Amino acid sequence: MPANWFSAPAPVTRRLRAYFAPVNRAAQTPVLFDPSQQGAFSLDAPPTPWIDLGWTQNFTRISAGKSAPLLTGIPAAPLEQVRTTLEAQVSFNFLSWTKLTMALATGSQHMNLLAPATGATASAGGAAATPAATIQSGSTASILNLASADAARFTTGSLVAVDTDYTGQTGFLGSPVAGAYLRQPLTDVDYVRRITFNVALVAQASLSSLTLAQPLPGGAPASGAKIQALTGFVDREGGTFYQEWSALFVAQGSQGERIFFHYPRLQSVTGAEEALSPLDSRHKGGHERVLLKAQFLALPVTDPLDGERVLCYRSFLPATHALI
Amino acid sequence: MQNAKDSFYVALRARLIAVNPERTILLRGAIRPGILVEEAEAPFAQLPSDVFILRWLGLGADTSLASIMAAAECEIVYQICGTQSFGGLDRGRALSAMDEELLAILQPFYTPKLNIAAQPPAKFLTNVFWDEPVFSPIVAQRDRLTRTAKILIYTYQEQGE
Repeated sequence: MPANWFSAPAPVTRRLRAYFAPVNRAAQTPVLFDPSQQGAFSLDAPPTPWIDLGWTQNFTRISAGKSAPLLTGIPAAPLEQVRTTLEAQVSFNFLSWTKLTMALATGSQHMNLLAPATGATASAGGAAATPAATIQSGSTASILNLASADAARFTTGSLVAVDTDYTGQTGFLGSPVAGAYLRQPLTDVDYVRRITFNVALVAQASLSSLTLAQPLPGGAPASGAKIQALTGFVDREGGTFYQEWSALFVAQGSQGERIFFHYPRLQSVTGAEEALSPLDSRHKGGHERVLLKAQFLALPVTDPLDGERVLCYRSFLPATHALI
Repeated sequence: MQNAKDSFYVALRARLIAVNPERTILLRGAIRPGILVEEAEAPFAQLPSDVFILRWLGLGADTSLASIMAAAECEIVYQICGTQSFGGLDRGRALSAMDEELLAILQPFYTPKLNIAAQPPAKFLTNVFWDEPVFSPIVAQRDRLTRTAKILIYTYQEQGE
């Protein structure tokens, strides 16, 4: 009779893939990943609302929580242990520069450089922008309908930001991704589009619509949303805002087994840093790849299962037919 | 290790059919996909061109694991002279095309382990897996360009193997 099980040694993996999902900052609600229901997802198509950020390098988990013995008796001897602090950090390098990876790898607010208005005064964080165009009804996350005069302002290859006008609100700004926190009102009508994560590349421009290369992370534009061209991104060393995201890291083993590290709440913990990786280690002074270094502090959530406060869930889905 | 070697070859052959069905070889009177195992054919006076030739080299094993892990080194040799219609001047392009095909058929870097001695082939419980290839520099002999790529193939020994 052929064997229908095998003894699986420790998983062998090649690399680790990262997925992030926005935490609802105002409601303090993270996105939870359920490995029992969602663990078999295709690595190229994560379940909603997880966003694939690709493979990572130098992934390191540090558990910095401390325990201390509770001493009793003479001479004192440990009676039991108590957990005195709960702390964990995660760090890794992103292998690409995108709006999201750059934002996650900076310690503070991340902004879009809106295309400047003609003659605008120079500004390190982005000058006054060209006026936004109104998005017409019937638009989707991938196709933006515009009046023909507005559509003519964009071409294939344009980078665009899509969101509503800023109307003086304070607190967390941006939905579904909070991109900033304002203590007092500003006068910049484009401020929400400066900090929005709803950005995309125009794959095709027609007389009345723009087709985006990737759908907007926030889905179909909200009523009253406007569009502006952007030229790039900027972040600042300093400020008071901390990015906070739910994170999921997946290591797939050679036999199909999977290890998940799920951090419901991660806040970036250091300022923006880069790591240089030479393309050819034998050639000093040659080309170097600039990697985004990301370092996060895990914040606790209360597990509804038993009320315990936890920082991270590590799950393991064994290979098919592997002994457990 | 034989099952792993067979599975690796069968996987690459199936992927080559999908990537470039026109890469074929006439061998022992039959037209086959353009990939073969050197040790499973009669010795060649000269290696055929325009095909991938798998040559098995080193072998290692880690017996300290829950299942024994074996690793074999595979050298994939391919050479090209270019086409007659271009007088062989396209041999560099032709070799680049084979480089790309090899990278394509090596991904994903795993395949189910099969026992092809059984009819129909029986599937084992584990996967055979491998690393990225290490490409050698091109060797030029007159109008013939040759390249090799070395790959380590890993497998777990299962019951009944």
